[in-house]
Amino acid sequence: MTQTLTKISPSNHEFADIIHRLEAGGSMLPDTPENLMQIIGIYKAYAVPMDFYWRDLLYIAEKVFLNPLPFFKYFLPQEYLDLKNHYAGDTADLRVWRGCAEAHPELINFIEKGETIKGSKLFHHLWHDRINMEFAEACMRAMYWHGRDMGMGKFDSYLDSDEYKHNADVAIKAYFKGNPAMLGLYKLFPEMFLEQVRQLSYYSNLGLFWEVMCPVFYEMSDIYDEGGFKDVSDAMNFLVNGIFAIAGRPIYHHVYIDGKCYEIISKSKGFTWLYEAALPYVEAVFYRTSPFRGTKSYNAQAKQVPEHQKDFHYGILYADVFPVGSAGIPPTLLMDDMLHFLPDYLKEYYQKNCRGEDDQLIQLGITFQRSMYNVTSAVIQALRTALLYPLDDENPKHLMKNRQFFEAQMDRFKRPEARLKDIQNPDYR
Amino acid sequence: MTLSLILWLPLIGVLIIGFFPNPVKTNTLRNITTLFIFITLCLSIYLLTQFNLGISKIQFTEYLTWIPQIGLNYSLGVDGLSLPLIFLNGLLTLIAIYSIGEKVERPRLYYALMLLINSGISGALMADNLLFFLIFYELELIPFYLMIAIWGGEKKGYASIKFLLYTAVSGLLVLAAFLGITWFSGSASFDYADINTMALSANTKFILLTLLLIGFGIKIPLVPLHTWLPDSYVEASPATTILLGGILAKLGTYGLIRFGLQLFPDTWKLVAPGLALIGTITVLYGALVAIAQRDIKRMIAYSSIGHMGYILVACAAATELSLLGAVAQMVSHGLILALLFHLVGIIERKTGTRDLDQLNGLMNPIRGLPLTSALLIGAGMASAGIPGLVGFISEFIIFQGSFIIFPIATLICIIASGLTAVYFVILLNRTCFGKLNNKLAYYPQVLLLEKIPAFVLATLILFLGIQPQYLTRWIEPTTDHLIATLTPINVEIAQK
Amino acid sequence: MPTIVDIAVNNDNFKTLVTAVTVANLVEVLKSPGPFTVFAPTDQAFAKLPPGTITTLVQNIPQLSRILTYHVVPGKLMKSDLEKVNSVISVEGSPISIDCSDNFEVKNATVIMADIEADNGVIHVIDNVILMG
Repeated sequence: MTQTLTKISPSNHEFADIIHRLEAGGSMLPDTPENLMQIIGIYKAYAVPMDFYWRDLLYIAEKVFLNPLPFFKYFLPQEYLDLKNHYAGDTADLRVWRGCAEAHPELINFIEKGETIKGSKLFHHLWHDRINMEFAEACMRAMYWHGRDMGMGKFDSYLDSDEYKHNADVAIKAYFKGNPAMLGLYKLFPEMFLEQVRQLSYYSNLGLFWEVMCPVFYEMSDIYDEGGFKDVSDAMNFLVNGIFAIAGRPIYHHVYIDGKCYEIISKSKGFTWLYEAALPYVEAVFYRTSPFRGTKSYNAQAKQVPEHQKDFHYGILYADVFPVGSAGIPPTLLMDDMLHFLPDYLKEYYQKNCRGEDDQLIQLGITFQRSMYNVTSAVIQALRTALLYPLDDENPKHLMKNRQFFEAQMDRFKRPEARLKDIQNPDYR
Repeated sequence: MTLSLILWLPLIGVLIIGFFPNPVKTNTLRNITTLFIFITLCLSIYLLTQFNLGISKIQFTEYLTWIPQIGLNYSLGVDGLSLPLIFLNGLLTLIAIYSIGEKVERPRLYYALMLLINSGISGALMADNLLFFLIFYELELIPFYLMIAIWGGEKKGYASIKFLLYTAVSGLLVLAAFLGITWFSGSASFDYADINTMALSANTKFILLTLLLIGFGIKIPLVPLHTWLPDSYVEASPATTILLGGILAKLGTYGLIRFGLQLFPDTWKLVAPGLALIGTITVLYGALVAIAQRDIKRMIAYSSIGHMGYILVACAAATELSLLGAVAQMVSHGLILALLFHLVGIIERKTGTRDLDQLNGLMNPIRGLPLTSALLIGAGMASAGIPGLVGFISEFIIFQGSFIIFPIATLICIIASGLTAVYFVILLNRTCFGKLNNKLAYYPQVLLLEKIPAFVLATLILFLGIQPQYLTRWIEPTTDHLIATLTPINVEIAQK
Repeated sequence: MPTIVDIAVNNDNFKTLVTAVTVANLVEVLKSPGPFTVFAPTDQAFAKLPPGTITTLVQNIPQLSRILTYHVVPGKLMKSDLEKVNSVISVEGSPISIDCSDNFEVKNATVIMADIEADNGVIHVIDNVILMG
């Protein structure tokens, strides 16, 4: 911190302390052992359901496709449970996690037994004793809905190109081959199925994005268990390196119909993980998303919902975690998913605070919020590395540019609902 | 024998608590208190089962001459008027024991007073002798005064003195009336059975009845004699408020029926229109002032004033149905009020505030007080007279019974019961719904021990709302008999 | 005069770049008449990238060529031409900001050797791999 400050004068920003911390290579999350323990624990608990999310998202995008009655889209077939993660196991393109490439053993165990009893999948599904894919779909929809407005990367604009429409058309016709009813419907309302395919492309996009994050989080948990991370910025830097290492991973959408592969978005389009998935994801899911119905209701006429999509700030960085716990709210579903896979140290930790087991969901929700501030810090630092200058740059002009970048990022947390201030306080739980 | 047990057992409890060797844990004292009150409650339930519904007169009588020179006798007995209230007394004391929370300062004194209050109220309800009644009626003041003065809130000194002054005056007026009744009528003793006011001149009777009305009117309380109530209710601890509002106030209406209506049946018709007017004003005043409150406890205190007004209107009308409704309302109001104050007590203890502007979103299932809020909604519904809950039953009986005699007053009361819904919607909307404040919402959990009383009350409110005959069957014979002696007069009024 | 590719191949500082261009099948393009302006990162510039980045890119040719084409601008733009503009559009499609106020800076890279003329364009040597965004 002092290094930068000796070269340029201190920031006058509302969050000057946090900006100085970022300039020193730190995270938005204060560097305490308690914070480190919390975020790593929750990364682990997040990674296991995420292992399911990415597999199922790809399954829906590739196999379920346009099934008009997709009752069983959350019933992951063995083939997809065994699908090799490209960044874990011996077969990895680039081994991020030392563990296996197939679904995590804890996940397999949960799918079989759930929290209740060993029983049929249907029972677990109806009893809601399962991974809540609804959350993953909500994230996907946030990306889809904000995609056009954000204009990040080339993915969304490609969905409007003639090439894409042609590819989708071929796949739609192949999928409904021998089904005159659906083909007739397609003739009548061509845009309807096309729009569905666009959404499915986002399924694929998010699935491919999470395929990477999942082993990253597993590995972080393993490193922490070995005593590997010294502090929060270590954990953040691991993420920064991860982002760069995987940045060039292709984003595509393939569909398998009758064993034949239809490339709706081919790998050769050059879409990358960083530009077409990660950055839009952070913007759409961490910052924007959409207001959740639940204990709160919104009145658009009374301007309780912003007029412009860019003004939407309902993401995890802004979320009020307290209403969480009402049924059907996507973040609640995620909290519930993570609850099944909490490491013991985190369980003990929650037991000691607030209402112990009774409000674990909120406590872990706030931990999750902290951890996502750390992920966002990693993204900010990665962007700074990619587009701007090193933190120890000799040129004050460069340091000033870095400063302006950090300040611009922090400006987004000046909104009253932002939780940046809250997470600075360890008593916010 | 049972009546004496109900009267004396708590006093034995007081002695045990008083002489229990030191050091003693608060819990032990509480358990002793609970035990004694529980036994008296069981005894009152036993009485309910043994009560002969075919007899309208006083039952289970016990009689010992005590000081015959002044006509004071140890004379006990219960009828349909007092028995439900004796049960209510036992129940609410039991609830009150668990409404103060975990920690009690000076537990020995606290629990001793609790037992004293229980015994005193039972005594007043069972007494069959005017003087004997008055002894208990006056004796109540001291424990209540201490309860407010020691365990009260910020302005406890002011509130407790105000309470003491008002109720002492009430006691003096009632004493004066009792002495007048007995001496002027030349009765041999203060026993109810010996007293006959028929021979008195109309003016004397009117003056005596007025004394009684003012005396009991303070206790009920009626507007404009009510100003002690909001202060006492708000400053007292929830436990004290439950006993104050749930059962002590009922001694006022009980006295009104027992001594006003029963002893002066013919004079009653003269004052009835005036009483109905005061009752209606009380109802309206309570409801309208409650709407304006920011403090939830104060809001419920004013709501209590309003609901007591219905009883007065019903008493004034004095038809079989209205009187039945009046006694039923005493019980149901006692149950509902106790539940409301108990829940408000929990909310205050957990959140540290009673301010409507600060409370919000308590319905939050994880960090709020969801069960408390849910029960509060139930209690609010009961108080507003939603069908299926006991409040509806008693209010409906009152309205139906009073309408023939005082149609306009009854209609105004019905409108006012709509206003009840207004302030309860305000209360529930602000406290239970909306968004929980992130900065404040680290409330402690509600303990099982605090939940159980609320469950018991809520269950009774629901049960009696669905099966009201278990409320009315004990009351009906007595009130029917009471009215039978008045019927010609009522007809007269109706014809006018 | 040699082509852009020839200059790069004959210089020891561009081993990584040449490998990348070869893998991405862009050799033929860069040999074509063009003309092109190429911002050529040195080997040291590539070495600054965190580990794994190159591995992933080499496994995924279209993605690699996209990054590489970001370093190429259509037309022959000398330093003197670039001084007049704030940004130019790359072959990849995204803009590249230019700052000549102090040093000759291209995005967050500094040009360490400008105006190396080739038959089919010009090369500016930069000290950082530049990225879109």
